[in-house]
Amino acid sequence: MIHQFSYMAPTELDDLLALLDTTKGGFKLLAGGTDLLVNIRNGLLKPDLVIDVKRIAGAGAITYDVEKGLQLGWATTINDIISSTEIAKHYPLLQACACDLASYQVRNRATVVGNIVNASPCSDMAPALLCLDASILVATATTRKTIPIQKFFTGVKQTVLQPREMVVGITIPSHTKDSKGVYRKLKRIQGHDLGIVGVAVAMVEGRLRIAVSSAAPTPVITDDLPLDVSAPDALYAVERIINPISDIRCTKEYRRFMVSEFTKRLIQEVRA
Amino acid sequence: MKIQVTVNGIAYEKDVAEHRTLLHFLRDDLGLTGTKEGCGAGECGACTVYFNGKTVNSCMVLAVEANGGTIETIEGEAQDGVLSRLQDAFDRHHAVQCGFCTAGMIMSARELIHHTPHPTVKEIQDGLEGNFCRCTGYEQIIEAILDATGGYREKEELVYVREQ
Ligand code: FES
Ligand code: FES
Repeated sequence: MIHQFSYMAPTELDDLLALLDTTKGGFKLLAGGTDLLVNIRNGLLKPDLVIDVKRIAGAGAITYDVEKGLQLGWATTINDIISSTEIAKHYPLLQACACDLASYQVRNRATVVGNIVNASPCSDMAPALLCLDASILVATATTRKTIPIQKFFTGVKQTVLQPREMVVGITIPSHTKDSKGVYRKLKRIQGHDLGIVGVAVAMVEGRLRIAVSSAAPTPVITDDLPLDVSAPDALYAVERIINPISDIRCTKEYRRFMVSEFTKRLIQEVRA
Repeated sequence: MKIQVTVNGIAYEKDVAEHRTLLHFLRDDLGLTGTKEGCGAGECGACTVYFNGKTVNSCMVLAVEANGGTIETIEGEAQDGVLSRLQDAFDRHHAVQCGFCTAGMIMSARELIHHTPHPTVKEIQDGLEGNFCRCTGYEQIIEAILDATGGYREKEELVYVREQ
């Protein structure tokens, strides 16, 4: 790495938040590093200070409670999600999306929070989090607030987060637990690749919702649809929220086509 | 920053620059050049090592992040000059051509076998999805892992199916 920076790894959350509040110069938070370190290497980011968030006890926690739902830490990794038996049981869609993210060794480092604060249109975790009504817990040294994930993304690689704010967890409420859900991601190869499009369909409290990645500036989700929605109505609902572009991976027409194909197939699967 | 790490059972205390990757620390500071750098960006898996019991792309880990941790690399795979079961199977099945991917392949294969002791062809393909090989065409690598885990039969057709 050519760009030089200093490194700090606080061991208490309060110290970390205080550091965010007072530090001068450009800084970046380091969790899994699977995006940050690549971007620093490429010269896209040049932070003066890199703050490691993983040395704090509980950073990678997963806690489940029947009443309160699921709580993920700010450094919970994708493989932590995959190996959690409670998530497998109660939030299978979250696990389905996790399994399709990058490669095994990347999943050992990459974090759920990192995947959403990065706010890539092709985020793999966002479709599940959108379908499951996740909320993002945001903290500064003096404030705490909760942002519904539907309001979190504002554009390509952009979120509502302010520079000195940090995501300190994700809550997935109990009313979406035990929801059936399926995810399909189109890739150029079957292994490790970014998505061309991704579609998740979930059945939440007797209604259907469809979330799509890589087909709009942000991951998007439809309004709730009746369980017996007709295929044309479901496709219409999806058409209204997507706005794909053509890029090196494929054309916008192909993206549109595959989003409708996956939507049709996944609705069948989720109803089966 | 001063860091302490244990690599292949040996404890080191070294001063490293904050922006140094674990990969460059291993290769350039410790001279453990078995681990390779292919892409430097998490795509190829040539740099895969064990860090605190899990495989990671060492090109995307800072050496300072490893402070206090335990690393295992390909140099720790053979014991007293005797190849490990996996290495031996790779050798017999010609799963090594240029060898650039091999260190990473062995690390990922070891992790796979750790959680799936008797993997199917599909499980091997999934377990190695983050490791590219530009020489062998993968078939010999898959055969070697099947062999090392007791799942290989001579002349058995490998069927490449992956449910969608
Ligand atoms: S060198 Fe690390 S993944 Fe390619
Ligand atoms: S043996 Fe050459 S890249 Fe795999």
